[in-house]
Amino acid sequence: MKLAIATTINGQREEIAVHPNQTLLEFLRDELKLKGAVEGCSVGVCGSCTVLIDGKPVSSCLTLASNIEGKSVTTIEGLSQNGELDPVQQAFLKHQAFQCGFCTTGMIMAVKGLLNAHKQPSEEQARDYLSGNLCRCGTYKEVLAAVKELARP
Amino acid sequence: MTLVGTNVEMVGGRAKVAGAVTYVADMEFAGQLYAKALRSPYPHAKLLRIDASKAAALPGVRAVVTRDDLAGLNPYFGTGVEDQPVLVIDKARCVGDIIAAVAADSKEIAEEAITLIEADYEELPAATDILEAAKPGAPLVQERHVDKNAGGNIHGVYRAASGDIEQGFKESDEIIENIYHIPPVQHGHIEPHVVTALWEPSGKLVVHTPSQTPSPLQEQIAKVFQMPLNRVRVIVPFIGGGYGGKNHARIEPVVALLARKARRPVQWILTREEVFYTGRRFGAVVKIKTGFKRDGRLWARKVEAWYDMGAYALSGPANTKNAAIIAGGPYNIPHRDYTTYAVYTNLPPAGPYRGVGASHVCWAYESDLDDIARRCKLDPLEVRLKNLIQENDRFITGETMISVGVSECVKQVAQSIGWNGIAEQEKRSDTIVRGKGLAVAIKSTSTPSTSAASVRLNADGSAILLTSTSDMGQGAQTALAQIVADELALPFERITVTFPDSDITPYDKSTSSSRATFHMGKAAQLAVGQIREQLFQAGAKALEARIEDLELRDSRLQVRGVPERSLTYPQLFKAIYGEAAGSLFGSHTLRTEGGIDAQGHGKGSSFWFYSAAGAEVEVDTETGKVRVLQVASAVDVGKAVHPIQCGLQNDGSALAGLGSALVEEMRYDNGQPINSSFLDYLLPSMLDHPGEFNSMLVETPHPDGPCGAKGMGEAALPPMAPAIGNAIANALSGVRVRDLPVKPHKIVAALSNAKERR
Repeated sequence: MKLAIATTINGQREEIAVHPNQTLLEFLRDELKLKGAVEGCSVGVCGSCTVLIDGKPVSSCLTLASNIEGKSVTTIEGLSQNGELDPVQQAFLKHQAFQCGFCTTGMIMAVKGLLNAHKQPSEEQARDYLSGNLCRCGTYKEVLAAVKELARP
Repeated sequence: MTLVGTNVEMVGGRAKVAGAVTYVADMEFAGQLYAKALRSPYPHAKLLRIDASKAAALPGVRAVVTRDDLAGLNPYFGTGVEDQPVLVIDKARCVGDIIAAVAADSKEIAEEAITLIEADYEELPAATDILEAAKPGAPLVQERHVDKNAGGNIHGVYRAASGDIEQGFKESDEIIENIYHIPPVQHGHIEPHVVTALWEPSGKLVVHTPSQTPSPLQEQIAKVFQMPLNRVRVIVPFIGGGYGGKNHARIEPVVALLARKARRPVQWILTREEVFYTGRRFGAVVKIKTGFKRDGRLWARKVEAWYDMGAYALSGPANTKNAAIIAGGPYNIPHRDYTTYAVYTNLPPAGPYRGVGASHVCWAYESDLDDIARRCKLDPLEVRLKNLIQENDRFITGETMISVGVSECVKQVAQSIGWNGIAEQEKRSDTIVRGKGLAVAIKSTSTPSTSAASVRLNADGSAILLTSTSDMGQGAQTALAQIVADELALPFERITVTFPDSDITPYDKSTSSSRATFHMGKAAQLAVGQIREQLFQAGAKALEARIEDLELRDSRLQVRGVPERSLTYPQLFKAIYGEAAGSLFGSHTLRTEGGIDAQGHGKGSSFWFYSAAGAEVEVDTETGKVRVLQVASAVDVGKAVHPIQCGLQNDGSALAGLGSALVEEMRYDNGQPINSSFLDYLLPSMLDHPGEFNSMLVETPHPDGPCGAKGMGEAALPPMAPAIGNAIANALSGVRVRDLPVKPHKIVAALSNAKERR
């Protein structure tokens, strides 16, 4: 049995059918073939599956796909416009705020959420907000540098 | 202007920020099936009966494999010791050992099928404690692979010695002796292990896997299936973090077996819990006894260290052997006697993790060094500098050490954290104290070893480096491209570095042991050298000049200092082949010399790497809570090919070291893992990252490395835990916790013990 729901994904209105027990991450990856959000821990701790729902970051591995009914989902694939990287992506590239890249898409989405919540976040706010995104390569300093640049008025 | 030494944009960087990297889990093949496994619930148990018929009958299940499917194969594989079965045959040796595996149309069906498999076990006594496992009479994990002379589960005993240890202790003014415990930790690569295997109709096997060791993996799989190497194709895309956790064959053989039986592509993505069953850092116990003179000179040192390999050896014997020669640290000590033991236990297999073998003994010898300085009432920095090996000193292996930047490393971290000598501790209140600590480390790289590189130059003046070096985030493709570009005087964008693909790229030992830049970089340089030779010969003829008067500069071959007399790459091809087409090839197989004998003598490493760390902490003596105020790490990189990437690797190593110092620990209850999830096993987050985090690169060029470069990726990890431990001990006036991680309750207990003793 599938549920038919209306939602918006990366700016496109969609009528979709989801399994009641399907996670948003499974739906994005397996049905829509949006592979940017990745699975790291499956328990909402590592943050590598982070996407935005109505501008707020969520762990898509813990969110049921059916929960996006009537909401707007943004994934990493929805950030760049006409081949131009989003400012957050550009800042990550400029500060080389990644190594292996596996946590990067989730980290970028979390930074988008941070900047939606706080236009000019302090370093403390940024650390707190991003503490749910783990980077085992240890590239936190550079992420904070990217945020600092983005937070400039 | 050279590219080496500059911060070019990381290869793949744009794809990474765009979410456009294809990791193995992102690949989908037509007809792809999904795998799940039944795993042993017991640390040690005979497998009496297995019946998978109900699982096989479930609609949507395409293949089930058990020990009954191993006929005609070499069922055991391993890096040095072939001790790991593709699937459990007679007995399970650890919790998580693979009993059976299923390939089905969906993960859900595969999961359901697993519950239908019937397995009967007879539980066996288990060896789960390192020291107990090492004793004669312990339950045997691997009957066929133990050293009968050593007894118990000891697979190998490794030694290194110099001088006369007993005489050395007699001559010492004082002697201290301690025992240190180092728990297993997780690599923590956020990308779990994942493999997709498929068999082509011709009977050729193709394996997609995020492997750090594609060439040895190919050999291992070929051996299991008894096929020549050309029938096994191993392809490695970008890896979502490795840190040693993706060395060696792990789940590849069983996925290949499933795919063969199902005649369909099979993908298996491990759950995080399963990753905990698949790899970890060795746990270890280190006993260390040091005799010293009152002026702080180290005079005699005896170390015994037991490394817990778990159920399967992987590279454990080699890692434990290498640990023997560095067991006492990068110090000149007249009398030394170091022994390490590789021990099997009924715990999930261990393997290399950043700083393999070195972190364990470093925790011991660097903690002890501060205790010695305290006894002598000397500055720990001064005691280190007094004893550290210097350029051209002779090491315990008998070799002469070159490119030794360790003193410079420790001086730089000391300066960075504002080291003020002996009296560092600072009382902020009745219960809040601060302290600073330092530590140094030495580590070897895999020696001897082989790396082959092949370079193809196109007529338009662009080139491709064919290499089996994996890029797992360290930026190997970037660094190698920089090196090749400089050799050909081409812009960075004109160089492509391949991903490992055994159909295309030549043999390489591994992307581990911090060896890629040094070995593959050098092999690539020498491969380009063959192309340069052809270019220079053709150019000399066409330009009517002597070869020694020519140089490659700005994408042209020119008479030195006379740009008017030059040839472009297309013109050079025309001079060679009569038209601006064709390919020029160069290749080189680099084989490093060395290795150590049973006495620990020989050339221990094709290059040695040195590092130092410093830390300042604040300790709450009531609760034992530790706050890291600042850390610094310095690594002697020889030459920083890409300074930013070097710095990032330092940060990663140092932060993982901080995690292992304070929180990280895989825990077991009678062999049952009890914290196999990121909910229960903590990795350092942005909140654990100290605001002050300085990573420094020391450049002491190495004559054998490309442009003087040495390996450096893991060097910052080993000294970080002892630097933090020393800072804590310093804050607590010498009261010390010797068991990692240094958790609050241990600090409180150590303080209360010290109070009782007074």
